Amino acid sequence: MTAQIEIDSVTKRYGAMTVLENLSLSVKANEFMVFLGPSGCGKSTLLRMIAGLESVDEGTISINGERIDTLPPGQRGIAMVFQSYALYPHMTVADNMAFGLKNIDVPKGVIDARLAEAARMLEIGHLMERKPGQLSGGQRQRVAIGRAIVKEPKAFLFDEPLSNLDAALRVRTRVELAQLRNRVKSTMIFVTHDQIEAMTLADRVVVMNNRQIEQIGTPMDIYLRPASRFVATFVGSPTMNFLPVTLSESRGFLVATLPNGAQLTTTIRADGVTAAEQTLGIRAEAVRRTEPGAVNTMPGRVEVLERLGDRTLLYVRLKDGSMIVAEDIGMSRVAIGDEIALVLDGTRTHLFDAEGRARHAEEIGHG
Amino acid sequence: MSTMTATSAQTGTGPSGMVGRSTGDRVILALTIATAVVMMAPLVWVVALSLKDNKELMASMNAVFHAPYTLQNYLNILTTSSVFRWILNSLIVSGGVTLGTLVLCSLAGYGFARLNFPFRNVLFVVVLIGLAIPEQAVLIARHQLFSWLKLHNTYPGLILPWLSAPFGVFLMTQYFRAIPKELDEAALLDNASRFKIFWKVLLPLTVPAQATLGIFTFLSVWNDYFWPLISGTKKEMYTLTVGIASTQTNFAQSEGLGFLMSQAVFASAPILILYLFFQKYIVTAVSGAAVR
Amino acid sequence: MANLTLAGTSPAERPVPSRRQVQNVNAPLWRNAIFVAPYLVFFVLLLIVPLFWGMWMSLHKADAFSTGRFVGLANYVRLFNDRIFLQAIGNTFYFVLLTVPALALIGLLLALALNRQTRTAAVLRTIFFASSVLSVTIVTLIWRIVFVPGFGLLSTVYGWFGATAPAFLSDPTLVMIAIAIATIWWCVGLPMMLFLSALQQIPGDIYEAAALDNAGRWRTFRSITFPSIKRTFVLVVVIQIVLQFQLFGQARLMTNGGPNNVSTPLVLYIYDAAFKRWDLGLGAAASEVLFALILVAAMIQYLVSRRKGEDA
Repeated sequence: MTAQIEIDSVTKRYGAMTVLENLSLSVKANEFMVFLGPSGCGKSTLLRMIAGLESVDEGTISINGERIDTLPPGQRGIAMVFQSYALYPHMTVADNMAFGLKNIDVPKGVIDARLAEAARMLEIGHLMERKPGQLSGGQRQRVAIGRAIVKEPKAFLFDEPLSNLDAALRVRTRVELAQLRNRVKSTMIFVTHDQIEAMTLADRVVVMNNRQIEQIGTPMDIYLRPASRFVATFVGSPTMNFLPVTLSESRGFLVATLPNGAQLTTTIRADGVTAAEQTLGIRAEAVRRTEPGAVNTMPGRVEVLERLGDRTLLYVRLKDGSMIVAEDIGMSRVAIGDEIALVLDGTRTHLFDAEGRARHAEEIGHG
Repeated sequence: MSTMTATSAQTGTGPSGMVGRSTGDRVILALTIATAVVMMAPLVWVVALSLKDNKELMASMNAVFHAPYTLQNYLNILTTSSVFRWILNSLIVSGGVTLGTLVLCSLAGYGFARLNFPFRNVLFVVVLIGLAIPEQAVLIARHQLFSWLKLHNTYPGLILPWLSAPFGVFLMTQYFRAIPKELDEAALLDNASRFKIFWKVLLPLTVPAQATLGIFTFLSVWNDYFWPLISGTKKEMYTLTVGIASTQTNFAQSEGLGFLMSQAVFASAPILILYLFFQKYIVTAVSGAAVR
Repeated sequence: MANLTLAGTSPAERPVPSRRQVQNVNAPLWRNAIFVAPYLVFFVLLLIVPLFWGMWMSLHKADAFSTGRFVGLANYVRLFNDRIFLQAIGNTFYFVLLTVPALALIGLLLALALNRQTRTAAVLRTIFFASSVLSVTIVTLIWRIVFVPGFGLLSTVYGWFGATAPAFLSDPTLVMIAIAIATIWWCVGLPMMLFLSALQQIPGDIYEAAALDNAGRWRTFRSITFPSIKRTFVLVVVIQIVLQFQLFGQARLMTNGGPNNVSTPLVLYIYDAAFKRWDLGLGAAASEVLFALILVAAMIQYLVSRRKGEDA
């Protein structure tokens, strides 16, 4: 039971306020799609529109080519796991899971079989006669997923289902969800503001911001080739460094003059670049420490050290007063206050124009 | 006595519950107990009278303070009093109103809290304004309306006016609004109809509010005096309040003082016993309704 | 098997509705009103219609059999020229003055004394609230048997000392006080409980801090307890004003308004006019006056409870 979901030119308004504008998107059958974005970007609204809990003002939503935005929620063949789980507090776990099936007159034998199968898969068999109030957060979360599974829906919708769990449980549940995903072959849409959840779970990520889609791509696409400055900022930790640069061209590629005058040869193609003053983006892992005084480096003073075990993040104050984050080895000997020089890897740079649109360095060596 | 005040000083939560205040505490406690005794005195007096033979009372009221006591007055109730009929009437009326109120207000509360329909907010505000209408402002017209409909001296006549009270709608709407909306949405995705969501998913969660509203309504109707006085004017349609009132119009001349008192005690016993058992709920219901 | 899952999901077979017919779960639909409709029928027929009908009647010379002819404001003119009506208004205010401050004060004192978790306090709370569940007819019966000359409790107690009890039910200067005493006895439970729940909202650590600051009992009350329950105090006063304004049963059953109307409150006046003399127009006019007075009090209550909401 799976489905391809087609969202076509969808617009949503609340009164005079537009929360989603002319948005199109296609989710492939069996795909795990994550809607990622800051709160208020419209990702939950989009999910609820697919579920039928919000109306669609313009555009259409279809599943397997059949239009569903005109159907009531219960008839769309969709199951949803809510952030608060929304388990019926006065029903047992078994009744919670069976409620939706009874409503469409599924025979009792079929209900029992599906409940048993879901209970086995989620290891909640011993909880079936309990009420939600007697369950831990993690158990409730499984029951909520179980309630979705037994419906054998065309698509699963998850609305930030991990955000009510504590940090340790969240990591464990994330792994379990990834495993579940391999067993239950179905289309899944997962809404989150947590980039790690998005990166680890998704086949493809839809990054949303301010009523619109910023980028759709695989997690590595999003990370390595962010389509806009917003995506570059929102995805990745620590956040990408941005430097104002002056551009020139050398053999078809761009050469950036850094704020301190150093020259950085990039592998960003120069054709089509018109503005000479743009913003260069580079992640901390492409900024390395080197000996002070070397040619074309950026000198600075280490202000903060974050030792993460496997690597060390250096927050370096440059001469012009701006801050840049560099990465060093886990056993780094750098101390706070050290004067160091930074060298930038021109093959891992991004260029953002005044509108925030991006161009990326090409990995020449690897074709 | 001293041990009681000592415990109160240790476990009290108020300002006087602190260490080193026990003398003041003891005085306050003594005063409060004295007030309670004064408070109880009239009740005890009535109960004492109900246990005395009438001839003895006629001779001297001081007979109340010594034996013999008798249950004869209570036995007489069984044979000669209409009080059973009145209690039955009150039960039918109070029960009917309570049931009707719970049904109407639950439905309306769900409707106002969860469903959108044209003019919903305006209607809700109008209902809220209805809270401020005192009974007396509608009584006379209502009485005339019921005369035309020939509803006086009938159970529907005694029950129906209460079903228009806006308080329950207000209470239930507030309560439904406090239930997370995700439950409705989960049920919608579970293919449940609006009525099924109301009946199977939300209504079971409103039991505390139903109890509050039910107790408050039952007590208000049970104790109401005005409407049954003007609507249930036939003796066999008297409610308990009107019936008891009818016996006491000129009891100064009554030769059955003890009987009268026993009837009053008998009539108030059920509600007092209920009060002792469900005190917490009754207090919550009544004070909750007062503050709204 | 596949066709069993979510039986409703066969959209191809059903005609696709146009945008106008879309099943929007939040759209204002007339059929959603079906849940509130049953109540609204009662609300309109038995509250709203009688309310306006009453106003209409107050402008007519109405009796038990017909609405009669239109007389304009004549009923109101008659009212305010009726010595007994003016007296009834005076009596009502007098009664409110007698009962409301006493109820608020006694309720507060009892709450302060009983705000502790001991069995004794629990039993005393039960006693003080018990009278509130009784009906007005039982209450008046009890208090008549206390006040009645000859075999009343008061007469008996006075008799022990060879004295004669004051004639609470017939002395014009005492009847209102007698009704007030019975009313306070009947109603004191509610203010006490409202104050108790307000007192329990005050966090205990404030009192510990005050004790460390060496604040005495009175000082603690004045600078901590009272400011925290000030709003409840106002609320209690307003609730009681609205409640006591509607005095009826006690006056009717204890004194029947006498002697010489000195204990006739507004509602008893309405009752007599409308249901004893069947002068429905006059009764309706008097009801409107009462309505106006209560509306003012209710407005104050609304403002007070709204301010409460804003503070929270």
